Amino acid sequence: MFLISSYRVGKFALQNFWRNFWLSVITITMLMLTLLTVNIIVVLNYVTDRAIQAVEDRVEVSVYFYATSPQTAVDNAVAYLRSISQVRNVQVITADEALTQFKDRHAGDEVITKSLEEIGNNPFGPSLVVKAKQVSDFDLILEALENPQFRDQIREKDFSNYQDIVARIKDTTQRIRMFGLALSGVFLFIAILIVFNTVRMSLFIHREEIGIMKLVGASNGFVRSPFLLEMILLSLVALVATLAIVYPSLAALEPKFGYYFGGETIGLIDYFEKNGWEIFGLQFVGLAALTLISTGLAMRKYLKV
Amino acid sequence: MISLKHVSKIYPPNVVGVEAISLHIKPGEFVSIVGQSGTGKSTLAKLLFAEERPTRGTIEIGGWDITNIRDHEVPLLRRQIGVVFQDFKLLQKKTVYENIAFALQVSGTPAKRIRDVVPLVLNIVNLSDKTDRYPGQLSGGEAQRVAIARSLVHQPKVLVADEPTGNLDTLNAGEILDLLKKINEFGTTVVLVTHDRDIVNRLKRRVITLDGGKIVSDVEEGRYRL
Repeated sequence: MFLISSYRVGKFALQNFWRNFWLSVITITMLMLTLLTVNIIVVLNYVTDRAIQAVEDRVEVSVYFYATSPQTAVDNAVAYLRSISQVRNVQVITADEALTQFKDRHAGDEVITKSLEEIGNNPFGPSLVVKAKQVSDFDLILEALENPQFRDQIREKDFSNYQDIVARIKDTTQRIRMFGLALSGVFLFIAILIVFNTVRMSLFIHREEIGIMKLVGASNGFVRSPFLLEMILLSLVALVATLAIVYPSLAALEPKFGYYFGGETIGLIDYFEKNGWEIFGLQFVGLAALTLISTGLAMRKYLKV
Repeated sequence: MISLKHVSKIYPPNVVGVEAISLHIKPGEFVSIVGQSGTGKSTLAKLLFAEERPTRGTIEIGGWDITNIRDHEVPLLRRQIGVVFQDFKLLQKKTVYENIAFALQVSGTPAKRIRDVVPLVLNIVNLSDKTDRYPGQLSGGEAQRVAIARSLVHQPKVLVADEPTGNLDTLNAGEILDLLKKINEFGTTVVLVTHDRDIVNRLKRRVITLDGGKIVSDVEEGRYRL
């Protein structure tokens, strides 16, 4: 009995779908626009996260010690910095390495080579390259370098302030995100209105059939179910159509994003493939819930069974 | 079979549909409810298949008190009461067979039983040769016979016919009347709502006359007198 009814509910839902083909197309289009906006926000989130991460990867503090600084002071500084949870990495460049690097950099410059020969010994001291987990942690790291154990052995600290850049990225992203959310809200609202009116029109078109169904003893659930199923079907078609647009667009966009990230792939498609079930599953559940709620409201108002 | 006690139906703000109706219809009876337009005949019919709920009084059908019937129970009631209307209420895009099968499909009847039952009822209404026709290709009398066939698929204990001959000529009306009598002979209680004088006089069965929403006469072997 349940299977038979389910089969017939499915059949009636498909009939509704085909018989109101253009109405179905409009509804699907609006649902698609909503989903596309949501996916644009997802892509935007991912890309800005990667952009911030890329900037943060490049941010570092270079700490230069005097050539005469004892090794214990450098070791103390390294140990202390590594014990701070906000520090991601501390790279040690010894005095000899610094000299080699300097020579390599100025290999063709005779004046500098001669000057070095005149000095006779290594004028460079050891240095540290400190990377933080987040840009905002640099204040704390700079503060840590004021530790009296090694403060006086530090000749210079070189810190380019990327905080402004990151803050600007975050600010712009936040504005775009808010705009996207507002746009999604508008599309969603239009989609709800369309679904509501689709059902209303569908009820109007089928009022005779519904009246006869009720007359000959169809249960309330049997009358309502095809409309609810039709909306789930429309949501599913909208999702599949969105996927058909999103994936090729991502494939086309990824190399372009890569150009801005120094030729590296940013893993956008990987991200969608790894989290696809979650991203699109949630979108489907959300969309189906919204369409079902608006269908329920329309039926409550216009279908007194 | 059917019992109404002090039943009134008042539509807002204060329009009387029927007022203080009390009647009892025995199983297998054939009862005509007559009266001029606006006297409450159709309201009374609607109360019987729960399209309307009474404002006051109680209604019982087959021992089932349907006075305050719940929404989810209405389909169960309608599978026990066949209903026929003046405008046939057939689906124009479905064939004769499909229209009748539809009543069984929506109540979850298995396909095999539908294949067994539909030809039987088509045979009763003498339309076995027109199963593939659409309502638009039928005469008024034939369309009404399809509607009657559809009302019979659940083997109802009661058949309520609301002006079934209203759209038909004398010949077709006579055929419908004969069909209703035949159904009544099978044991189904028939409640015929009509204002067709000839039909009522031909029947020579119980006649309940309404006027102003009230019963003004109830005669065992009556005639149309207004």
